[in-house]
Amino acid sequence: MSSTAPTVVTTTDDPAVAPPRGDGAPGRREGRVAVGLERRAVLRALAVAVVILVAGLFVPDLITSSYYMGVAADGVVLGIMAAGIGFLAHRSGLISLGHTAFYGGSAYGVAIFTTHWGWSPTTAAVVAVIGGTLLAVAIGSLVIRITGFGFLMLTLAFGQALYALSTLTSLRDVTGAFDGISVVFSGESQKVAGLTQAQLGAPDTFWPLAWVCLVLVVLGLWLVGRSRFGVTLEAIRENEERARFSGYNTYLPRLGAFAISGFCASIAGVLFALKASYVSPDVLGFQLAGDSLVATIVGGFTILIGPVVGALLYIYAQGRFGDTGNLELYMGLALIVVVIFLPGGVVGFVTDRVVRLRARLWRGRKGAGS
Amino acid sequence: MGLRESLEEREMSVRAKVSAALLALLVSGGLAACGSDNDSASGSASGSGSSSAKSDAKPLKIGLIPPTSGALAVFGTDEMKGWQVAADQANAQGGVDGHKVELIKASTDGQPASTIRAARKLATQQGAKFIGAIMTSPEAAALAKQLPALGALNFNSTGKDDGLIGADCSPDAFRSVTGSAMDVNAIAASMSKLPAKTWAIQAVDYSTGHSAAAAFKAAAEKAGKKIVLTQYAPLNTSDFGSYISKLKSAKADGLFAVEYGADGVAFVNQGAQFKLFDQYKTVLGFNMVSEPLFKTLGKKVTGFYNNVGYDVDADNALNQTFVADYKKANGTDPYYVPADTYMAAQILFAAVKKAGSVDPQKVKAAMKDLSVPDLSGQNITIGPDGQAMRPSHVGQVVAKAGGPGGLGFKIVSTTPASVTHPSVSPDCKM
Amino acid sequence: MNFAQVLNGLALGALLMILSSGLALIYGLRGVMNFSHGALYMLGAYLAYEATSSGLSFWLALILAPLGLAVVGAMLELGFFRNLQQRSHIETGLVTFGIALVLNRLIIIVWGDDTHPVSAPKAIDGTTSVFGTAYPTYRLLIIGAAAVMAVALVLWLRNSRVGLHIRAASHDTETSGILGINVDRVSLIVVCLGAALAGLAGVLAAPYFSVSPGMGQSILITVLIVVVVGGIGSVGGAMIAALLLGLVQIMGNVWLPSVAVLVPYALLIAVLLWRPTGIAGKRV
Repeated sequence: MSSTAPTVVTTTDDPAVAPPRGDGAPGRREGRVAVGLERRAVLRALAVAVVILVAGLFVPDLITSSYYMGVAADGVVLGIMAAGIGFLAHRSGLISLGHTAFYGGSAYGVAIFTTHWGWSPTTAAVVAVIGGTLLAVAIGSLVIRITGFGFLMLTLAFGQALYALSTLTSLRDVTGAFDGISVVFSGESQKVAGLTQAQLGAPDTFWPLAWVCLVLVVLGLWLVGRSRFGVTLEAIRENEERARFSGYNTYLPRLGAFAISGFCASIAGVLFALKASYVSPDVLGFQLAGDSLVATIVGGFTILIGPVVGALLYIYAQGRFGDTGNLELYMGLALIVVVIFLPGGVVGFVTDRVVRLRARLWRGRKGAGS
Repeated sequence: MGLRESLEEREMSVRAKVSAALLALLVSGGLAACGSDNDSASGSASGSGSSSAKSDAKPLKIGLIPPTSGALAVFGTDEMKGWQVAADQANAQGGVDGHKVELIKASTDGQPASTIRAARKLATQQGAKFIGAIMTSPEAAALAKQLPALGALNFNSTGKDDGLIGADCSPDAFRSVTGSAMDVNAIAASMSKLPAKTWAIQAVDYSTGHSAAAAFKAAAEKAGKKIVLTQYAPLNTSDFGSYISKLKSAKADGLFAVEYGADGVAFVNQGAQFKLFDQYKTVLGFNMVSEPLFKTLGKKVTGFYNNVGYDVDADNALNQTFVADYKKANGTDPYYVPADTYMAAQILFAAVKKAGSVDPQKVKAAMKDLSVPDLSGQNITIGPDGQAMRPSHVGQVVAKAGGPGGLGFKIVSTTPASVTHPSVSPDCKM
Repeated sequence: MNFAQVLNGLALGALLMILSSGLALIYGLRGVMNFSHGALYMLGAYLAYEATSSGLSFWLALILAPLGLAVVGAMLELGFFRNLQQRSHIETGLVTFGIALVLNRLIIIVWGDDTHPVSAPKAIDGTTSVFGTAYPTYRLLIIGAAAVMAVALVLWLRNSRVGLHIRAASHDTETSGILGINVDRVSLIVVCLGAALAGLAGVLAAPYFSVSPGMGQSILITVLIVVVVGGIGSVGGAMIAALLLGLVQIMGNVWLPSVAVLVPYALLIAVLLWRPTGIAGKRV
C-alpha cells in the first residue's frame, strides 16, 4: 500500500532524511529498543509477575462495592483485548479496527458450543479460543501484506462483515440474529476453572480467573516482545524493505504477531461470554471496535500495560459518564489530545516523566565530575 | 550500542515496567477507595430513619431504565410518565403501606450490555431492587440472567416476546403487558371479520417481531388465509423503500405490520408516498398504530386495524382516576404504554402490600395468587410464569373528535386472558 | 425486475455519490481519510431539521447548510489538517476519528436523542408516476440533484483553473508546490468543498432517512468503502463506486437478502487485496 499511496511533502521513507517511521506508526517513542531474553531479566520479570499476580488476588477484599468490582472485572477483560491490539500496534505498527472479530467471534463460539451444541463450558471455552486464533491466522494471512490505512480498512471490513453475518435473519437459529444468544451451560461438568455459571456472573468470584489471564497474557506478550521474534517485528516495522533485503521473511513474523494479538482478543471474548451469560451482536459491532482502539491509544501502547490502563479508564468512564451520554465526548477529546500531544498515551507520558525525574535525581547524586 | 548504554536501556525498561505496574495497581486502588467511600455513603443514608412508626418503613426504591435514544425513545418517556403517575398517587396517600415510593432513573441506548450495567448500578449502588421501564424483550431476557445475582425483580411493561414467558422465563420477572401470542390469539378470533384473503407480513427483526409474525401466521393459516410474503427490517431502519417495493410486487390484499415507534412512523409515511396502502383491503398493525403516532401519521391511518392494549374510555373508577391524573400531569390522554406501565406499578404495589415488606424475596413470594384491580374493570391475577392475565382488544382507527390528530380507536373485540393464554408454555422451566 | 427497486438503488447511490465525492476530494489532496465525514453529514441533516422545524423553507436550508458546513470544514483544515501535515496519515485519521466522536456528541447535546422525521417541502412530498409505478417524488429529486452535482463537479475539476490546481496537487503535492501552486490555499478550498458536499448530502438525506443520533456512524462505513473501492482520491471513481454500491445493495436485498449485506465488505476486501488503486486507479 505504501508504494501506491500519494506522497505528501514532508514524511519520506528515505532513512537519510528522517528517522524511518514505517507506514503510519503513531505514538512510537524515540529511543532504542530494549531487547534480549537474558536469564536475569527474565527471572526478574517472572518475579515481578508473581508478586503482581498474588497482590491482585486481594483486590476483591479491597474493593467492597459490588459495583466497582464489576467495573474492575469488565476493565480487565477489555484490557486483555486492548493489550493484544496494543501489542500489534507497537511491535508491527499496524492499527486494527477488526479485533472485535476475534473477541466477538470467540464469545459467540462459547455461546453456540455450549448452548446449542451441548458441550461443557470448559471445552467450549478452549475450542473458542483456538477457533478465534485460527480465525486471526486466516484473516491475517490475507491482510498482513498491506500496511497503514489499507490494513485499517481491511480489518474494519472483516470485523463488520462478521457483524453482518451475526445479524442475518437466515442464520437466526444459530446466532439468534439481533436477539443474540442466552448462554446456558450444558454438558456434565458445568464449571469453568472450578466456577459455576452463577459464580462467573458475580464480579467477586469471577475476578481471580480474569486477573490470572491478564497477568499471564501481559507476561507472555512481554516475553514475546523481547525475544528475537519481537526484535524482528520491530525491524520490519521500521523499514520493511530493508528487513527483507537483509534476509528476513517479513510475512511470517507479521502474521505471527497478528495471530498473537488475535489470541489475546479471543481470550477476552471467551471471558466476556462466561461472565455475561448473554452474547449479542454488539460484541462484534463498530462501536466496540472503535472504543477498544481508543482505549488502547489513550492508554498508550508503547508500554505493554498502557492499553490495560486505558481499558480500565474507559470502563470506569463508561460507568461514570455513560448515563449522561457524554462518554463519547470525553473519549473523542482524550483521543485528540493524546494523538497530538501525548504519543505513548497516558501511561507512556507518566512513565516518561517518572523515568526522567529519576534520571535527573540519579545524575544529580553523581555530582560534578562526569 | 555501548555496554553502559544498553545497561541504562535495560534499567529504563524495567523501571518503566515497574512504574506502569504500580500505576495499574494504583488505579485499582483508586477504584477501591471510591468503592468503599460510596458504599459507606449509601449505607448511612438508608440507616437514618425517623421516629414515627409508619415512616420508619424503608422507601420503596424503583430503578427505571428507559431507552433515551433510538426509535423507541418516545415510548421510554411515556413509560416514565406511567410510573410517575402511579408513584404520585401512592405517595399522596402516604406511600404504599407507608413505604414512600422513590423512582430512580438511569438511561440506556437499548443495547443489553448498557441496560445491564445500568441495572447493576441501580441495584448495587442505589439499593433499587425493583427494576422497571426496560423497553425491549432482548434487554429483558439478558437482564433476567443477572437478577438472581443482583437480588432484584424486573417489572416488564413493554416487552411482548413470547420467549420471555417461555424459554427465557424467570421467577424474578413479571410482565404486565399482554404477550404477542396473546394478542394474536385475540386477533384470530376476529380474523373472520377482516376481509383480506392473502396476507403479507412486515415485521421488525428481533424477538418480538418474529414471535408476532409466527403467531399471526399460525392463526391466519388456521382461519384458511394464505401468507404470501414475510419480511423483517432491523430496528432503527429509516429507509423502507426496498421493503415497500417488495410488498407492492407481492400483491397481497392484507398487510400485517409490526413496526414500532419511529420505525412505524417511517414505514407508514413512506408507504403512503409509494401508494402502498391503496392495494390492501385490510391493514392490521401490531403495536404500530397508536395514539401518539396519530398526530404524525394523520388521516393516512384511518381504517387501519391494530391490537389495542388499553381502552382509554373504559368505564370504571380505577381507569377514570388514572386518566384524570395522567391528563393533569401530562396534558394528554394516556395510551397503552403508560397504561401498561401503570399496571406494572399497581402489581408491584399490591404485592408489597400483601407481603407487608419491600424485601424483594417476600414481594416475589406474594405474587402467587395475587389479585390486582385492572384498568379494564375486573380483577386480574399473575400467572405462574409471571404473566399478568389481562384481556386483549382489537380496534379500528376512526375519526374521533378531540382525539390526537382527530382520530381514535373503536374497540372491535375483546378477549379475556383465559382464552388468549390458557396455559403456561412448556418451554418455561423455572 | 421492479423498476421502483432500481430507482431505490439509484436514490441511495445518488446520496452516497454526493457524500463520497467530498471525502474523495479530501483524501486525494491531503492523503487523510476524514473519519469525521459522517458527523459532518449528520450536522447537515440536523441543520435541515432545525430549519424546517423553525419554519424556514427547506430550499433555504439546502443552500445555508452546505455553507455552514464549509465553515466547519475551514476550521478542520486550519485547526487540524494544516498543523498535522508532518504526522503520519493514520495519526491524522485518528484525530478525525476523535473529532467525529466529539461532533456526534455535540449534535446530540444540542438537538437531543430522539429520531425526528423531516418532511420534504409540500411541492415535492407526493408521488409521481414513473413508467407506471408510483414513486415518491422526493427521491427523484435526490437522484436529480446528485446528477447535477456530479456533472458540475467533474466539469469544474476538468476545466477550471482551480480544478487544475486541485488535480495537480492531488497527484503530486511536492512538485505542485515547486511549480508555484499554493497548496495550502488549494487544501482549504478542497476541505471546505468536501465538507459542504457532506452537508448537502445531509440536508437531502433528512426527509429521506429522518434525523437520528446514529445516522453519522451508520453511513460512515459505507462511504469509506465507496471511496476506497472507487480509487484513492479519485472523485470520478468514487461516484461510480457509489452508484454501483447503491444499486447492488438494494437489488441484492431483493434477490439474495442474506448475501446482499455482505457485498460491500466483500467488494472492499477484493479491491484492497487485488487492485489497491481501486476502480479508477490514480486518475482524478
